[in-house]
Amino acid sequence: MIELKSETKTLICIGSGGVGKTTFAATVAIGKACEGKKVLVLTIDPSLRLAQALGMKPDGEIHDLTTEAMRNKNGKLFACVIQHEKAFHEFIVKASGQKLAAADIEKLTNNKLYKQLSTKLSGSQEFTSLFKLNFYVNSGEYDLVILDTPPAQHTWQFLKAPEKLSQLFNEGVASWFRNPKQTDIGFFKKVLNIGTTQVLKALETLTGADFIKELGLFFSAIQNWQGPLEKQVMDCHRLLASQTTEFALITMLDPSRITECQKISQEIQQEGYQLTTLVINKVPAWFKNKNSRKSEKINRLSSYYEDIEKLLTQSLTSGAGFKNQLKIYKCPEVSQNELHEKNLSEIYLQISKIN
Amino acid sequence: MATQKIHFFTGKGGVGKSLMAASYACMLSEKSDHGPVLLAELTERSFYRDFLGLDNLGYKPILAGKLSKHLSISQWSTNDCLKEYALHLLKIESLYKLFFENAVSKSLIQVAPGLQELAILGKATSSVRKHGPQMPFSEIVIDAFATGHFMNLFRAPKAMSEIISFGPMGEQSRGIDQWLRDANFCHVHIATLAEDLPITETIELYNNLKSEFGITAKVYLNKLLKLNDVDFENLSVDEKKHFSEISENESVSIEKLKSAGIHYQEILFVPEIDRVKLIGQIAGSL
Repeated sequence: MIELKSETKTLICIGSGGVGKTTFAATVAIGKACEGKKVLVLTIDPSLRLAQALGMKPDGEIHDLTTEAMRNKNGKLFACVIQHEKAFHEFIVKASGQKLAAADIEKLTNNKLYKQLSTKLSGSQEFTSLFKLNFYVNSGEYDLVILDTPPAQHTWQFLKAPEKLSQLFNEGVASWFRNPKQTDIGFFKKVLNIGTTQVLKALETLTGADFIKELGLFFSAIQNWQGPLEKQVMDCHRLLASQTTEFALITMLDPSRITECQKISQEIQQEGYQLTTLVINKVPAWFKNKNSRKSEKINRLSSYYEDIEKLLTQSLTSGAGFKNQLKIYKCPEVSQNELHEKNLSEIYLQISKIN
Repeated sequence: MATQKIHFFTGKGGVGKSLMAASYACMLSEKSDHGPVLLAELTERSFYRDFLGLDNLGYKPILAGKLSKHLSISQWSTNDCLKEYALHLLKIESLYKLFFENAVSKSLIQVAPGLQELAILGKATSSVRKHGPQMPFSEIVIDAFATGHFMNLFRAPKAMSEIISFGPMGEQSRGIDQWLRDANFCHVHIATLAEDLPITETIELYNNLKSEFGITAKVYLNKLLKLNDVDFENLSVDEKKHFSEISENESVSIEKLKSAGIHYQEILFVPEIDRVKLIGQIAGSL
């Protein structure tokens, strides 16, 4: 079982690729719903098996997955698979307020740079999941919203996403490329100071005039929205730093994670985020059963996992820079052939605290 | 010196591509007929620095003495690649300083789609294009991005040359795109695990690389156990269940790759905690 503070409304699961974040997020969601909470779990790209097992549909909508066992405890479970492009569009529409005509939104969404931004900008996927998270947390509909973060090379990509996006909508940048009164031609000349002109010239040398023109068109399309857009971005950032938001860092028994995990958790805490939970995931349940195995291969494997677990828990509990509030859990490996709600709720009960 | 070769390693997150890239680079550099090899990681936060304990790992290649005598390692952060490119194009130091020490242009670079990807690929192809500083390596092994991000990286030059047809950017984009499609120069390696999701992603990526770039990627089926009947003797019920599942996953994965017409290399699981030994062992099996 995972202990959360009573005031906690948001749980964000972070960790590098392959550690089983999505399954873990679903497991905690099921477990908390069985404890009687109204839970929403937001995931990105769940495996087909997991989606089928739980009845998730990849349509960006919320689905009610409440089971009999949850209902008996007055709990509820909802799940949503975030659709990135749909969510980015929702964000733009919401940020623009009611003032904007559909035609204006279309003008923007047809811009080549917008298309690139909404799909390819690193950090934009992280941002849309944060935007959806913020929306659902503020709706007040749920006791707990659990977010499974997008697969990123590094956890920092997720935490820095609001910052990156606010740079994009920063009034200072945007105003460079706009010429409110005239057409796009010659807007360079309207730019006020010499330094700016030189920087733009340098950029033109690097990228070509076409590129600058596209940027100009983009920024004039999002003119007047800077304020609301930035507010949305700020709100998302505030949610990350909120006292009612807890972070769980997921890791697994792999030699490359030992130092990585210790470092990341220290850094996250230093930045002031509430990292309260550390989960060693996918712990093989079998390797404690010492018996008269014949297989040399499996014996080596079992001592290998034991060694890593020892090293990992040592490095985590040795306290080098660790704040003592950090709770460390072990979560058993889930059989992919037995992925269903009932099995996951049993796994949830087997999650054990080791410090 | 023979023409330089470049190797990109990609795959789903968590399948061990950084380790595969390091092992491959190590294997290349140990061959007696080879010139110096560079292992480069595309990341803002180094993986190899901690993993190999190389505290001074940065943009400038350093020797990875522990792994191999002829191997250098460097970290290609986007900003460093872009700086080098900018300095090469702008020539004038003061203009470059003005450009890069400006907060506004710093954020512009982050925002400008494709610019970061181009800077990275521009760096990777600088020697063969004879554009920018030359890199004195016979082969360059790049620990690149995971699947989706990797395709975006490879698609960037063509997309950019379509948006911007004129100017230095358009011209260079076309040049980079052509080199990526050169089968003698550019090689893509996909690491995967014998599991449902990574295999599906691998097949899709393999097919996309083939249809969009004419590239035939090399596939590595990583961390295989390949258990036989003897291994299953005297196991507990839990163990039997666990390992039968793994064995089944392995045979299903192999079946899927075969029916997709994909050749792959099997990489056995190495239960070794010592990092240098681990890389050495995988390199030996390549």
